[in-house]
Amino acid sequence: MQSKIISLARVGALTGIAALLLGAGLARADQLSDIKKKGELIIGVLGTDEPHSFVDPKTREIVGYEVDLGKAIAKQIGVKPVIKQLTVAARVPELQQGRVDILAAALTHTKEREAVIDFSLTTFLTGQKVMVRKDSGITQVAQLAGKRVTTVKGGTQEPNMRKAVPSVQVVTFETAPQAFVALQQRKATAFVNDEVSLQDAFGKLGPAQKDYVILPQSISSEALAIGIKKGESSLKAVVDSTLRDLEKSGAAEKLFIKWFGPGTKVNYPKREFKIDTDQIPG
Amino acid sequence: MIELASNLHLSQILTGEFRAWLLSGFWMSLQLTFCTLLCALPLSTAIALLRLSSVAVLRWIGFWMVEGVRSVPLLAHLLFWYFAAPELLPESARAWLYEHHAETLCAIFALTLYTSAYMAEDLRSGIRSVPTTQVEAGRSLGLSYLRTMRHVVLPQAIRIAIPPLISQTLNLWKNTSIATVIGTAELMYQAQRVETASFRGVETFLVTTLAYLTVSLLITGFAAWYQHRFPIRTA
Repeated sequence: MQSKIISLARVGALTGIAALLLGAGLARADQLSDIKKKGELIIGVLGTDEPHSFVDPKTREIVGYEVDLGKAIAKQIGVKPVIKQLTVAARVPELQQGRVDILAAALTHTKEREAVIDFSLTTFLTGQKVMVRKDSGITQVAQLAGKRVTTVKGGTQEPNMRKAVPSVQVVTFETAPQAFVALQQRKATAFVNDEVSLQDAFGKLGPAQKDYVILPQSISSEALAIGIKKGESSLKAVVDSTLRDLEKSGAAEKLFIKWFGPGTKVNYPKREFKIDTDQIPG
Repeated sequence: MIELASNLHLSQILTGEFRAWLLSGFWMSLQLTFCTLLCALPLSTAIALLRLSSVAVLRWIGFWMVEGVRSVPLLAHLLFWYFAAPELLPESARAWLYEHHAETLCAIFALTLYTSAYMAEDLRSGIRSVPTTQVEAGRSLGLSYLRTMRHVVLPQAIRIAIPPLISQTLNLWKNTSIATVIGTAELMYQAQRVETASFRGVETFLVTTLAYLTVSLLITGFAAWYQHRFPIRTA
């Protein structure tokens, strides 16, 4: 009997999720006025993706480029920012269910996702790349044919990798750091991620850097943006205007230098994009 | 309910590659269950016998094999046996493991340990419910301890223990879903993959739930049939 009860509870939970997902599709009041009414903006972030969003080891708080963008948006609306940590795979469903107001979670703007959520102006441009151990002898992405590659569940990394090398075997984990550990433990030949995150992971290797290499070819180019629930046009308007203001005042440039510029683990010499469009090519 | 039905697009995930992914996950979950069961039955019998041994050290080992394993959540077991334990292996054994579906083997290992701890307790209860006079009768006929166990006690004990063991099998079937965290491509892993690619979370989890439910009900049905067909005889 005990086990029957457990399996019923499981069904209940899953159908509950199903009902919530469907409910999210129904018409409701304007989300921006709801945010103002409750006095807080719930910002969904990954928290495991330095320098976009990660736990500062000193303060134990989640900080990063996307956290700063989210806080700027909350300030513009005039409410308190509340940071909520999500997994890559849970991002879009959590937004659709209304458990977070906006997603600042290394979210790639894709044509497929446009069918289910809206996107702000592009906040970051990156490519996805592949890291391998030097002793694998691999120097080209194409050499990964038939090899095991790790990455995070629920992102664009897995489909992009399969598109680049159809015969590759992809193994996915809940977070990118876990997928990276699997590479370090030789459980796979390669690890795929957004270039910035990959640079950061590489930076953390310390003296072990000599054993690893990031392959030069990008397997895709990714336009990251803030995710907004489908059809919430007034919320999108305020998010976009905040981003435009940050760009105009030079604050966006400063944020880039703070998190990605010279001296950081990523160590980019300069910013090669502007926050000015919510369109993606293709 | 009508709105729910009209919003569903089941055909989208029940055709083409999405169906292939879900089916491969379903098959992997079944394989995990069977392989684990196959390993857990002898291991749990051994643990149960350790716990019932007259030697204190053996009893102590059995006790810790049950309590140590049961006291740790299955999620922690899986992460430990996949990310931590293999690193302690010698180089050659580790290289072999990583070339031979480490995700599946580690999942089977962790699930076997976890399931065995529970099954051992069910078996021990079964053995303890056989009256001690049966052991005394066996021993006085000149059978050794192990032979008494094999020919007299275990046949009766197993009959008593089988319904709870089937119940543990049902738990095992559901527990395989947690192996997704170590990249084992079972049903939950493939469901998340389909959800990500199709944005059809409701349909995907509805189908996945029905798949889990179907197998669970079959196991429950088997338990009911067994109890009807082989009722416990009182000695």
